[in-house]
Amino acid sequence: MTDELRRLAGAAWAFRARVEREASSRFVRLAAAIPAFDPASPVTDLLRRAADDEDRHATLCAELATAYGCQTGGTAVDVPIAPRSFAARDAVLYEIVAACCITETESVATLATLLTGTAEPRVRMVVHEIARDEVVHGRMGWAHLAREAAVRDVAFLAAWVPSMLEGGLDGAIFAAGERDAAPDDLLRHGVLPRSRKREIFVGTLEEVVFPGLEKLGVAAAPARAWLAERLARRSSPGAGCFGN
Amino acid sequence: MLFRKLFRLLVLGGVMVGSATGCGSAAQGQAADDKKPDSRDGGSPDDGGSAKAQDSDAGTAADAGGGVVGW
Repeated sequence: MTDELRRLAGAAWAFRARVEREASSRFVRLAAAIPAFDPASPVTDLLRRAADDEDRHATLCAELATAYGCQTGGTAVDVPIAPRSFAARDAVLYEIVAACCITETESVATLATLLTGTAEPRVRMVVHEIARDEVVHGRMGWAHLAREAAVRDVAFLAAWVPSMLEGGLDGAIFAAGERDAAPDDLLRHGVLPRSRKREIFVGTLEEVVFPGLEKLGVAAAPARAWLAERLARRSSPGAGCFGN
Repeated sequence: MLFRKLFRLLVLGGVMVGSATGCGSAAQGQAADDKKPDSRDGGSPDDGGSAKAQDSDAGTAADAGGGVVGW
């Protein structure tokens, strides 16, 4: 294993440890908010359990990062992401759609892809354990959106999905001219090459997230336009890397 | 194939979970009545300002709303 590969793998797993810790804090906060307007919702308990899952995932990811020589640590920062002007119920819906319907759904696709490859045994074990839980985490987002759509108009979300996508974007996957060295080696250590990551990101949006939103009363046209613009920017001359 | 499976597993599976318990209860319906779309003060990115994403460096939610970074 080269030093560069070790560095990339370590950084990826350290980043995931942070993402998982932040998810845990977010799920605890959202679980506390739902009973105020939907006391019978099964999503509340699912969120509480998901928070515990994310803590466990964070530990697994941090252990792998350490094994690759990367230090992890720091405090998870739980930042509410809904527009400040939103009322509490709308803010919860916004955040659950962003965190679960989009991000957790994308994570399941990424994990499923990693599981189809030949990974190092320890990496495979961690990816498998996390994937099992992330399916539930993605599903609880769609469950909450379905419950809300059953009792009120959720169409207002359509205009906000581009903000959710932009805010959660790994800009590197749309960077022009990118090339990963040794993509097969990256996969073995649980890191998707950028071209594969982009393929998964776009496919998941087009075939899972957008149809799911439309099924539940949230028009996907603004989000489709956002994606088309991102893809066009990538293929046009002068396109560069944008980060988040 | 993967995506079709994910749609069934996550979206349709989620809809089933969501409808399993107390969906559309009186309390939930009342709360919904209290918050009609046209009374929403959140507006849309078009009338609320620039549709830029959350400024992760600042660590605060922007008026335009943000997203969640994942794997």
